[in-house]
Amino acid sequence: MVVDRRRLMASAVALSMLAGIPAGAAAQDGGGTLVAAIGAEPDQLDPHVTSSYNSFQVLENVLDTLVEPDENLEMVPALAEAWEISEDGLTYTFDMRDGVTWHDGSPLTANDVVYSYDRWATNNGWRFGTVGSVTAPDDDTVVFTLTAPTPNMLANLGAYKGLAIVQEANVESGDIATAPIGTGPFQMSAWNSGDSIEIVRNDTYWGDAVALDGVTYRFVPDPTVAVTNVQSGEAHWTSNLPPQQVNNLKDSGDIVVQAVPSNDYWYFTLNKAREPFDDLRVSQALAYAIDRDAIAQATNFGNATVNQTAIPETSGWYFDYAPYTRDLDQARALLEEAGVSDLEIDLMVSTDHPQSVTAAQVIAANAADIGVTVSIRQLDFSTWLAEQGEGNFDGFLLSWIGNIDPGDFYYAQHHSTGGFNAHAYSNPEVDTLLDQAAAESDREARKALYDQAAQLIVDDASYVYLYNPQIIHGMSPNVEGYSARGDAAIRFRDVSLSE
Amino acid sequence: MLRYLLRRAVQALVVLVGAAVLVFLLLQLVPGDPVRSAMGTRFNPDVYEVLRAEAGLDLPLHEQLIRYLSNAAVGDFGVSFRNGESVFELVVARMPATISLAVAALVIALLISFPLGIVSAMRRGRAVDHAARIGSQIGISVPDFWLGILLILLFTSTLHLLPPSGYVPLTEDPVEWLRHVILPALTVGLISGSIMTRFIRSATLESNDQDFARTARAKGLQESVVMRDHVLRNAMVPIITVAGIQLASLLGGVIVVEVLFAWPGLGRLTYDAVLARDYTVVQGAVLLVAAIFLVANLVVDLMYALIDPRIRYR
Repeated sequence: MVVDRRRLMASAVALSMLAGIPAGAAAQDGGGTLVAAIGAEPDQLDPHVTSSYNSFQVLENVLDTLVEPDENLEMVPALAEAWEISEDGLTYTFDMRDGVTWHDGSPLTANDVVYSYDRWATNNGWRFGTVGSVTAPDDDTVVFTLTAPTPNMLANLGAYKGLAIVQEANVESGDIATAPIGTGPFQMSAWNSGDSIEIVRNDTYWGDAVALDGVTYRFVPDPTVAVTNVQSGEAHWTSNLPPQQVNNLKDSGDIVVQAVPSNDYWYFTLNKAREPFDDLRVSQALAYAIDRDAIAQATNFGNATVNQTAIPETSGWYFDYAPYTRDLDQARALLEEAGVSDLEIDLMVSTDHPQSVTAAQVIAANAADIGVTVSIRQLDFSTWLAEQGEGNFDGFLLSWIGNIDPGDFYYAQHHSTGGFNAHAYSNPEVDTLLDQAAAESDREARKALYDQAAQLIVDDASYVYLYNPQIIHGMSPNVEGYSARGDAAIRFRDVSLSE
Repeated sequence: MLRYLLRRAVQALVVLVGAAVLVFLLLQLVPGDPVRSAMGTRFNPDVYEVLRAEAGLDLPLHEQLIRYLSNAAVGDFGVSFRNGESVFELVVARMPATISLAVAALVIALLISFPLGIVSAMRRGRAVDHAARIGSQIGISVPDFWLGILLILLFTSTLHLLPPSGYVPLTEDPVEWLRHVILPALTVGLISGSIMTRFIRSATLESNDQDFARTARAKGLQESVVMRDHVLRNAMVPIITVAGIQLASLLGGVIVVEVLFAWPGLGRLTYDAVLARDYTVVQGAVLLVAAIFLVANLVVDLMYALIDPRIRYR
């Protein structure tokens, strides 16, 4: 038998090409399904109703808002391609992006925005106190007419997917709770109760082409198990890392850890509607008594930045102000001035947020040093919310997440008419400053007003601010293009899987 | 026999209604309600009242109860407060995962406890007995979440043999189902098996001390025949009782293990529903568990007659 070396070579090349082409192509387009381990099952997926972060980890990739925050948390076009703000700041005219379709194929129109706004107004009304009317003069244009200038209007319209544009038919059928129809990079595919949610690529997405075929969110409540899933290759990504292992995991190499300073903050507050907490000196005494570094260390193992105001130092709105350093004599003196002795505080925390329990334990130990007894009341979050609503607490400890505009950080919490002023704080000067700031359109002047308000809020110890934690996500080394964001939004549209 | 079954069925119905009323009232005692829970930090008093009225939560308690019972009587268990899905469908959807874990765990428990309990009883006071008793005491004392974590560290992180968590339906991929069920079933089965080992040992010992066993030995029967036909046969009644209760409680869902292994079973559904004050789902799940216990008890009672001809039903 004559062996033709040339032919042999040629067929070898052909064979390797045959074998090589599909694999190479797959690696090139980065497709495949990313498995994400999240901490719990979403309660439901109606963006205007749910308040669960687990829901938004999914919805971020399915729905769109008019505008959306970029990586620096500045608002950029999304479903609105461009907009104009009138001279007096009272009219916002949005030009809708052309050719956008819903996941069911029907076209997106300006009327969908008007419909969504009407729905927000009932569910999310506090964000839109200054909106007079919303109209759609044509299919391509939406006009928001305001009753007062609202410089943070764009943030109010796009800060997170709770402000997503929804489809009326999807809402009317009731399907939105389990199978929301959006315009985003992925569309709902399946919800396997108790196990997982599957989304698949939307091939008609208006933005840049998406590489992943889909994302499967598995509900893995135990953080150690979630990390093991990533390490063993059963999952590619997780938002559920055990805080005490983060530092070790960063060094381990078999899992990539991304940590960024977040806009979240943790705080505690005392009920100003109750004696003796109506005397602000009691709150101030505790602000002097606590050891913030110890709290941040105990809760986040160093992966948090202590802060005495709400806004993190990475934000353009950061206000460098830290009047409280641990001073037990000062704390005792303040209590004495207030005429308080043998003080007992019922501090309410939630077992659904283990960080709050840990922080409260350090605070209780700190408070004991000035003769104050803190009894920690651990509740599940449903009960916690009910108790907060009824005002049944001396104090509580919790966090705020996902705020972007300084108005979000201070107004609802500290204005005497604010929607989340459960601790009954009232300072007319703060009210005036917050009102002025909300209407001020010059950024510098606005920041100056918020700084003044923040200074008063911190001095009065309306909230005692503790720290800004980091957003920490872990992923296997073959996840490419993912970046953890300060607003905790999880976007998979730019992600691909190598190999 | 038929009359007996009929009587048991009527009894079961009374128990079920009682369970429904009890869980309904218990949920009223817990602070917080589903609407407030669903609204989270986005609370708005006006919307809250509207949503409560829509859900019928503004009605007087007895009217809510009557409405719930009469709907349940015709098979309508309501919809979940969290996402509007049918409670019946939600509960049924979790059954395959729960049943497969329960059966796998019981098989492991029986494989451990039967040989161990009997050998331990036959070799009473010897090394085997001591080892079995110490081993089962450890098994009973170990917290399930800790045992589960240890198994994950061993079989996933160290040996790279099994996935750490998750569920694949048996009908979809039997091999993957088996790989996923082993660790949670082992966790539950080791603990369940430890409990049963103790029961089987003491039941065997007790039966072994009876007159009929002595008589059998006195008439010169081989020891193996004495064990098989006399001692074990008589020890079966208490053993089956324990096994039946174990199976029923496993079918009701093993909350901690299901949460740890991200297993989409009934226990985890109930746990999540309680935390969210999803009343309708809790009620539906509890009723189902009550029904499972009733059926399991009935089956156990009927099996007595098969094992022990002296037992008759009237």
